[in-house]
Amino acid sequence: MADVKTLPAGLKEFSLDGKAALVIGAEHAVGRVAAITLAEAGAKVLIASQDAGTEDNLKEVAKAIEGVGAKALIQVQRAALRADLSATADLAVSKLGGLDILVTALDAPFYGPAENADDSAFDRVFEENFKTAWMAFQEAGRVMLKHGGGVIVNINSVLAERGVPNATLYCAAKGAVRNLVRALSLEWARRGIRLNMLECGWIDEEGAVALEAGDFSEKLIKYLPYRRLVKPEEIAGALLYLVSPAASFVTGESIAIDGGLLCRV
Amino acid sequence: MILDSFKLDGKVAVITGAGRGLGRAMAVRFANCGADIVAAARTVSQLEETADLVRQVGRKCVIVPTDVGESAQCNALIAAAIKEFERVDVMINNAGIGEDSFGKPIEKITDEEWHRGIDVNLSSQFYCARAVIPHMVAAKRGKIINVASGYGLRGGKHNYMYACSKGAILQLTRSLALTYADNNIQTNCIVPGIFPHNEAMMKFFKGGKFIPIGRPGQDEDVGPLAVFLASEASNHVNGELIIIDGGGLAGGVTPMGVAPGNPT
Repeated sequence: MADVKTLPAGLKEFSLDGKAALVIGAEHAVGRVAAITLAEAGAKVLIASQDAGTEDNLKEVAKAIEGVGAKALIQVQRAALRADLSATADLAVSKLGGLDILVTALDAPFYGPAENADDSAFDRVFEENFKTAWMAFQEAGRVMLKHGGGVIVNINSVLAERGVPNATLYCAAKGAVRNLVRALSLEWARRGIRLNMLECGWIDEEGAVALEAGDFSEKLIKYLPYRRLVKPEEIAGALLYLVSPAASFVTGESIAIDGGLLCRV
Repeated sequence: MILDSFKLDGKVAVITGAGRGLGRAMAVRFANCGADIVAAARTVSQLEETADLVRQVGRKCVIVPTDVGESAQCNALIAAAIKEFERVDVMINNAGIGEDSFGKPIEKITDEEWHRGIDVNLSSQFYCARAVIPHMVAAKRGKIINVASGYGLRGGKHNYMYACSKGAILQLTRSLALTYADNNIQTNCIVPGIFPHNEAMMKFFKGGKFIPIGRPGQDEDVGPLAVFLASEASNHVNGELIIIDGGGLAGGVTPMGVAPGNPT
């Protein structure tokens, strides 16, 4: 765990010593990195998942968190979304002593022709990418507003900023979260809550649907500025900057971790 | 460990506009993270003050009096840094003028004022990048941090040179980022909002009371962001603009404190 005393003077504000954090989606590669990063910087971490059946995954993440000397707590939710998220925010307060940081690492991709997508695809993509983030912001925000503030970071995608054919619903849901972060950051700016976002480029993640389809991955990699996919652990620095007091004047903003992909024509 | 990836131990950073404001704050912050500094600005007495602050925390500081609007002087700056340290790990293009000059009607602005502003704010960043990049290519790594402004993304009344030069910095950043991605050189851009450096600016910006977060920027706010962008922690961040403005650019279509429905 971070020892503030041995940190260079210029890095003090990057420490999360004594903070309580909630990470939703730690069963996925990027969320796992997020949870462990917060723990390494000194936070106590509650990891929560919306999916029953992810408990083994979360246990492994909790072990990694305890491995760096931080406190870990697991919550797998099986009931309705709203009640779950509300209970989880309260659990952070009762078991970790507060809720200073929320990280939402939600990702439900959907790829396919727009004219063939049925309503269940719409419901699933918007629920898992947008609605869960919205409700998590509300429920964590409710607790943070009551306790003097906090920091929220949503882990999003570069598709929040650009269109991609065959990814229409996904782009729409990701873009919706982008603008939610802008609007809500303004609404809570004077009430002590900062909201920001990461926008990940194409992540090298096991089971990534798009990357396993046909020769997409091969053609994509040649197009990327770094000619390789983003490793999940490469989000860690930007995440720590945004959740820590080092970024106390940054809100409503987004940092892309894409090697420069968004600069391309 | 994640915190170690932010350290700047032994790195050499060239900072323009280092005699005051954001430049001085970044120099002192970098020294506090273990970096040595090459400080450039026109006014020697101000550079001496920055150098004292850097040396007080035990780091080296070389001062190079420079008019960054002149390309030969930018070349000399990088040459001086190489002579002293044999490398440049971080180039911070921060020098700028004209943020206290808004309000002059277009017909009153002379060619000289326009060109001088573009030279110092924009061309300087091109000159310094051009001079430092061969050294970074040879070293197979480097970090370039360009400082722009919220006025690079939005317009302002009677705000021409400043908005144009700062907007162009964003494009310089993107093209450098794409070109040198293969050389492991990351180029990014800090986009500060309202950072009043004196009483007149504080008055002009009404104390920053329209800023969503409720206060104007303080020079020290920018230090940690520059540390992130100079460190290994940002190795996959490239060509990115990071706005540090207390939320201002997230909105702008209603006045601060005015919202549909209940007031915020």
